[in-house]
Amino acid sequence: MTVTRRAAIGIGVGAAATALVGTELGREWWFDREPASPPQLRDSQGKLLWRNWSGSASSYPAVRAAPGSEDELVDLLRKTAAPIRPVGAGHSFTSLVPTDGTLVSLDQMSGILNHDPSGNIATVWAGTRLGDLGPALAAIGQEMLSLPDINKQSLGGALGTATHGTGAQYQALHASIRSFRLATAGGDILECSARQNPEVFSAARVGLGAFGVITQVTLQNASLHRVRKRTFLQSTEKTAAEWVSLCAAHRKVEFFALPFTGHSAVITTDPTDAEVIPRGPDLDTESLMSLKRLRDLFGWIPPLRRRLAQSALTDVPEELAIDESWKLLSNERPVRFNEMEFHLPRETQMAAMLEVLAAIEADHSDVFFPLELRSIAKDDAWLSPFYDRDSGSIAVHAYYKDDYTRLFAQVEPILRRHGGRPHWGKLHSLKARDLEALYPRWRDAMNVRQSLDSQGRFLNPYLRELFIHA
Amino acid sequence: MMRASILVSTATRGWLVGGIVFSGMLCACHRDSAPSPAEAARTAVRAATLRPADERLAALYDHSCRACHANAQASAPLTGDRAAWLSRLKKGNPELVQHVLTGFNGMPPGGQCFTCTTADFDALIAFMSN
Repeated sequence: MTVTRRAAIGIGVGAAATALVGTELGREWWFDREPASPPQLRDSQGKLLWRNWSGSASSYPAVRAAPGSEDELVDLLRKTAAPIRPVGAGHSFTSLVPTDGTLVSLDQMSGILNHDPSGNIATVWAGTRLGDLGPALAAIGQEMLSLPDINKQSLGGALGTATHGTGAQYQALHASIRSFRLATAGGDILECSARQNPEVFSAARVGLGAFGVITQVTLQNASLHRVRKRTFLQSTEKTAAEWVSLCAAHRKVEFFALPFTGHSAVITTDPTDAEVIPRGPDLDTESLMSLKRLRDLFGWIPPLRRRLAQSALTDVPEELAIDESWKLLSNERPVRFNEMEFHLPRETQMAAMLEVLAAIEADHSDVFFPLELRSIAKDDAWLSPFYDRDSGSIAVHAYYKDDYTRLFAQVEPILRRHGGRPHWGKLHSLKARDLEALYPRWRDAMNVRQSLDSQGRFLNPYLRELFIHA
Repeated sequence: MMRASILVSTATRGWLVGGIVFSGMLCACHRDSAPSPAEAARTAVRAATLRPADERLAALYDHSCRACHANAQASAPLTGDRAAWLSRLKKGNPELVQHVLTGFNGMPPGGQCFTCTTADFDALIAFMSN
């Protein structure tokens, strides 16, 4: 009888364990399935699929062009099918690029054209990828003043969407533009700076590729220098409380708040002359996938998920790297995701972050990507989300295989209520009327755009919704 | 997305042992045998030096593929790392090119080469996987 009871218990435990393993395998399979792809690689007319980095936007362009010079570009713009949409690395999550007309790549217009060593100034083709620009500038003793988290974007795409790094005293990338050359819908090349065509310079510096195609950019850079990058973990509560002082104490600082853990990873970057300590192998991806595994396996038991994460995240030693800043500021991000990011008045950033975090932990147990918090100094480009306002940014991410719509629909109203302006390249639902209320020089910018492209040849359906009232 | 060896040092932590072992069991079947660090370093150095002989293809490679396929940090199969490519090649070129065009796991759609034709993708895959 005893043996029978033991056997029964054993069978019961075994069955329960098998069921648990089966359930967990099922959960992991469910979370790891590929999202639905576009229906076909070619449309009915045989045009090849174009899709952005995350897979959130796609189209079948009739023409794909990669001009090798301004002359070739101008010739193309005069004749080709609209909508004409410039594309860089396709890293924008919003539908800035999709077109059934002409897709223009500046991949053949890449590299440094000339430079002035005395003033740390360099003129660069807009098709240059940021990842290539870092070493190219380093070779002439220069570096960009700021760099984004990812450096796969083209320079033109990064500038046109107000891409940014972090640093309370550091502006977004476009603020370092001294001048640019713009190829217009009419086939002209305009020199634009604070002195030449100043209204175009103000309006088109952050232009979403809707004012024309920027071909060359003259950048104000800095001397190549070394920085000390520290990464450490601490509670999100402590980080939020210290955020203002962290921003004041460090040249550049950002943090990643990890939902369902109570912890944040804080990254500070400061100048140094110390010996180089190269960055180690990429552990971010492994860490991120560990958080995913916690989500996959224990997302349905939030207290256990939190307990496991907190145990793992306590007393983790800090990481240190010392090197030239272009080698440390940007990161490889091989795990694709979708993203929403808003830029808020600095005084509301932490309150909004805590509200977003609480909403995620209450209603979105599928989230495992961290929130990213940065600080950006104001500038004067009319369509810059940082126009006349020192800003704090909040970015929310969703794994590319996960449905982001419900998460972003809940987060966006929080960020808007706290005064946020959306990142142009990241997902949001704002339209012309909403945006006009957020940008003091909106009408001026739209007038410049209209004067340069009266037929709307650079506008795809998405941009029409952004720029033109329904 | 975040630094630090978060969760990497977890094996010694009692609360996590069960979870990590459990999740390790679930994932073990996905892992290929890893090369030694010295071998991986040699492969990475070699990947950084390889370039298509055809100049047009080389330009496409330089502008798009190289950023990840010649960069060990990017987690992509490295150029010239035949062993890493084998499991992909077994799928056949049509499926590989489909994955390139639509994106697949870490592979961004189009390989961020938006003027590449399907013939270019075939040629680039052949170059990188040899």
